[in-house]
Amino acid sequence: MITAIPGSHLVIVYLKNAYQNDPFRIALELFLVFFAIKYMLAKKYKPHDNTVKLTVKEVDDLIEEWQPETLVPTLNTLDKLNLDSTPVILGPQSAKTRVSGHAKPLLNLATTNYLNLAASEQICESAIKTLKEYGVGSCGPPGFYGTIDVHMDLEKDIAQFLGTEEAIIYAQGFSTISSVIPAFSKRGDLLVVDDGVSFAVQKGVQISRSNVRYFKHNNMDDLERVLRDVQADQDKNNKRLTRRFIVTEGLFANFGDIAPLKKLVELKKKYKYRLILDESHSIGVVGNNGRGLTDLFSVDATEVDMIVGSLANAFCASGGFCAASTEVVDHQRLSGSAYCFSASMPAMLAVSASEALKVIRQQPSILKELSERAQVFRQVLSHKSLESLIRVSDSDLQSPAPFFHIYPKNSFLRSRAFDHEIDIPRVDQERLLQDVVDECAVQGVLITRAKYVHDQEKSCPRPSIKLHVTIGLTKKENEKAAGVVKSAITKVFGKWRK
Amino acid sequence: MTSTLQVPTIEIQGANPRRDSPRTRPRTFSLSSLVGKTRRAYSVSSAYPPKIHPALALPVPKSSGDHSLSVRDHVFGDVWTDPRQSLCSPASNLTPAQRRNSVAAASRRYEDFEQKMEAAPLFVLVSTYLNYLVLILFGHLRDILGKVFKRKKYAHLRTNEGYAPLVSDFDSFYTRRMYLRIRDCWNRPITGVPTRKTMILERKTTDFNETFSLTGRKIEAINFASYNYLGFAQNTGPCADAVQDAVREYGISTANSRLEAGTSDLHVQLERKTAQFVGKEDAIIVSMGFATNSTTIPALVNKGCLIISDELNHSSIVFGARLSGASIRVFKHNNMVDLRELLREVISQGQPRTHRPWKKIMIIVEGLYSMEGSIVNLPELIRLKREFKFYLYIDEAHSIGALGENGGGVCDFYGISPKHVDLLMGTFTKSFGAAGGYIAGDKTVIDHLRVRNHAFCYAETMSIPITQQVLTSLSIIRGEEGTNDGRDRIQKLADNSRYFSAKLRALGFIVYGDEGSPVIPLLLFNPAKISAFSREALKRGIALCVVGYPATPIISSRARFCVSSSHTREDLDDALEKISEIGDILMLKFKETSS
Repeated sequence: MITAIPGSHLVIVYLKNAYQNDPFRIALELFLVFFAIKYMLAKKYKPHDNTVKLTVKEVDDLIEEWQPETLVPTLNTLDKLNLDSTPVILGPQSAKTRVSGHAKPLLNLATTNYLNLAASEQICESAIKTLKEYGVGSCGPPGFYGTIDVHMDLEKDIAQFLGTEEAIIYAQGFSTISSVIPAFSKRGDLLVVDDGVSFAVQKGVQISRSNVRYFKHNNMDDLERVLRDVQADQDKNNKRLTRRFIVTEGLFANFGDIAPLKKLVELKKKYKYRLILDESHSIGVVGNNGRGLTDLFSVDATEVDMIVGSLANAFCASGGFCAASTEVVDHQRLSGSAYCFSASMPAMLAVSASEALKVIRQQPSILKELSERAQVFRQVLSHKSLESLIRVSDSDLQSPAPFFHIYPKNSFLRSRAFDHEIDIPRVDQERLLQDVVDECAVQGVLITRAKYVHDQEKSCPRPSIKLHVTIGLTKKENEKAAGVVKSAITKVFGKWRK
Repeated sequence: MTSTLQVPTIEIQGANPRRDSPRTRPRTFSLSSLVGKTRRAYSVSSAYPPKIHPALALPVPKSSGDHSLSVRDHVFGDVWTDPRQSLCSPASNLTPAQRRNSVAAASRRYEDFEQKMEAAPLFVLVSTYLNYLVLILFGHLRDILGKVFKRKKYAHLRTNEGYAPLVSDFDSFYTRRMYLRIRDCWNRPITGVPTRKTMILERKTTDFNETFSLTGRKIEAINFASYNYLGFAQNTGPCADAVQDAVREYGISTANSRLEAGTSDLHVQLERKTAQFVGKEDAIIVSMGFATNSTTIPALVNKGCLIISDELNHSSIVFGARLSGASIRVFKHNNMVDLRELLREVISQGQPRTHRPWKKIMIIVEGLYSMEGSIVNLPELIRLKREFKFYLYIDEAHSIGALGENGGGVCDFYGISPKHVDLLMGTFTKSFGAAGGYIAGDKTVIDHLRVRNHAFCYAETMSIPITQQVLTSLSIIRGEEGTNDGRDRIQKLADNSRYFSAKLRALGFIVYGDEGSPVIPLLLFNPAKISAFSREALKRGIALCVVGYPATPIISSRARFCVSSSHTREDLDDALEKISEIGDILMLKFKETSS
């Protein structure tokens, strides 16, 4: 029957010749065939499989027995404090805003409305004009007909403003950096990260699953030590070269201090790293033209490989961006998960951001005004009477940062500690600060504590009041507000635990 | 009686796939398990005949004030149905549509999908694989030659001046050699409102899709690409007016996070209203849909917990699950038999290595899968929940507003009380024509999320125009304005979806998706047809999404239609005619040829 297949005699002849007088070959091939069959029929190999074999009855019992924890634990005192102390703004957010529970408007030092763009008529009117043309939602991710011409305009505006080749916009500021980092840094790559970075950066680092080395906050010597370590390790083990990034923030959300960009760029070049700089808080407020750190230190924006920022803070719009070279931006259009898998920014918000950029470009003088306000405020808080009570960060009086943290001084806390206490519990410190916040509100000033998801922060920063200055308040109002904060601190701290 | 969970149970005799004899998961090598990998996507509609029976069409709306879930406890849980009861006497307070949906869910089988794949002729499958093979071989050939002869152009793939390549050679192969060829089918820029028609800005390329430039010409196309299910993408009408007033009064942004000082009274109002709409005690809102999942899941589960996730879940769920630090297991798409086996395994085995019991188990599923058009088998899932005590998290990104007679999502679709679901998540991007998302649940859970959700603590708030758009569209959907507008939109969407998918099937295309889904995927198979379909459609004035690997299994590239209530019957007929024409050119009418 086999011979019926045309050409089969050739095969038979070949086989007969091949196996002549070669028992070893026959044995070998039979063994191979046997092995192949055994392999195919074998159980799937699972490394570290420690499954316990159970009978159906046992499984049923185990399922019956299993009791899950409640979905969420009950709120602890700190959570309750945070929840109860959240102010509700009635009406528009502005420099003088109405807050639920207070009859009169409060002087607002609790928002990122630094340049008073929230109150800008010009921005609101262009947003409404956009509404009439584009509607509200974009109804799709950028890949699926969600790229609107105003997005492309905004991207161009940002790239031009910063002086990079291109820019890409994301729909939320917070999600931008945690999407940019994993788009480039994969398993096996190396991230060298400042240990004081904000939560969003921490999450980006975590999700990338790369190898991570931390250096001490803003400490360039420590950074160099880490870089040298890595280099030595690399040379010693002759490892394959992987992608390496230095990740840091421009103006640190958690500390209010500024990264020394010049030194960073120098180090990154020396050790051949790429630099990812999160400028979420510095963009639009730091530097003579508001272009952030590259502006402040007169570093060319192309020297930083990726500048990531938020359009929601100083610009008072919404969303985030990454400005970089064309290659870097293009890669994100397919690999930035928050870009690819989420609806694009509503047209109105893109236009608001574009308009905000325009305002800053047209009137760079408002930036100077802002830094004056900040300086005056710092001056007031550095008064002798407060010296033993609080520490202001960044402590530099000339710092261009428009916000800062006020921490109760360690020596003060120690002096008020009860006998049995080694450390004063976090919740007590927070309550002390909340009392200051409440006192200020009574006196007509709105401020806020810095709030964190404390159990998920890498190392949660100390309790603090986060104070934002704004040019929406006149010089006089600013001084008055500073006075209120100062007297509230003296009053509340003086009475505390007495 | 009141203490036991009550879920809708309508069962068809023998319809439940061998529940009492759990099959062991295939461990040994077999040809079918190999093939099974490529056939993972499935849907039920082929098993459940998509014929529209006049008696079963959507019911006539009741009074207009009757829309909201909160007003009427329309949940059918309070009447217990005997599982053995026949189809003829189901729970009394279910609407016919809800009853029908539950019945369809009960008769779902995983194996049905395989039958459907048979419908695609073998030569299509073979040619698809060949198609990829040729592409891969040719791509590698170009790479090899290019690296030798055009060293400069390939410099970015090599270690360069001490820097490792930003994108590695291997990772980017697919992008460079396949995606680039057909890149013009994505990221097409538009202008204006993405409503029933959309205005596409024409692009041209002179360097084989490396770069594009706008020609300045605009193409008007029927819009099957935007998720504008209820047609709220509008630049006029009550929503636009309300948004305009809100911007004039409130401005654009609240300039801080919700927890610090960015909470506006509008946000509070919207949270209350959302909770009422979905039928939960409380809700929070987040400014971005993606972030709603990615920042909430880590606040709910952590190390020692287990997330069981549908294999086709959205990337934001995967993102959030990874951040949470919990263990993750995956079950086959919408396959309740597989899920059941998995649950038995994980609960009895406990945590890997230590065998300690899990702290908690959370199952995350989507209401409506945006690439498959399949609707989660909620009745069966609730039944499993009662048996296995897990927590249930449903992502209603696509289903909220678009499914159910009141637009209440999958719970409404099946007539199941939202109280059986622990967390209902959804987005405002799609049906509401806005942006952002929400999570709804019990008051204690939501309060916990208020202090633990990352976005709530750190991210920007939902901006004023968006908040207002949702507020207004929500009250229209709930019929609070005293009009029937919302009800009409929901009805129109349901009609349009049924009509369009039934017609496509009748034309002979292979169409996925459950009955009633406004997402309608049409199977293309060959990668070359992805671009061909998209370009031909655009030529004829139809905007639609095409998707291929890695968003879908490698074999089942598809075109996706998102039907909207703003489409008129003429739009649909017009589009159908053109699609039929394209189907003839591209030989996509598989069913026709095989019969």
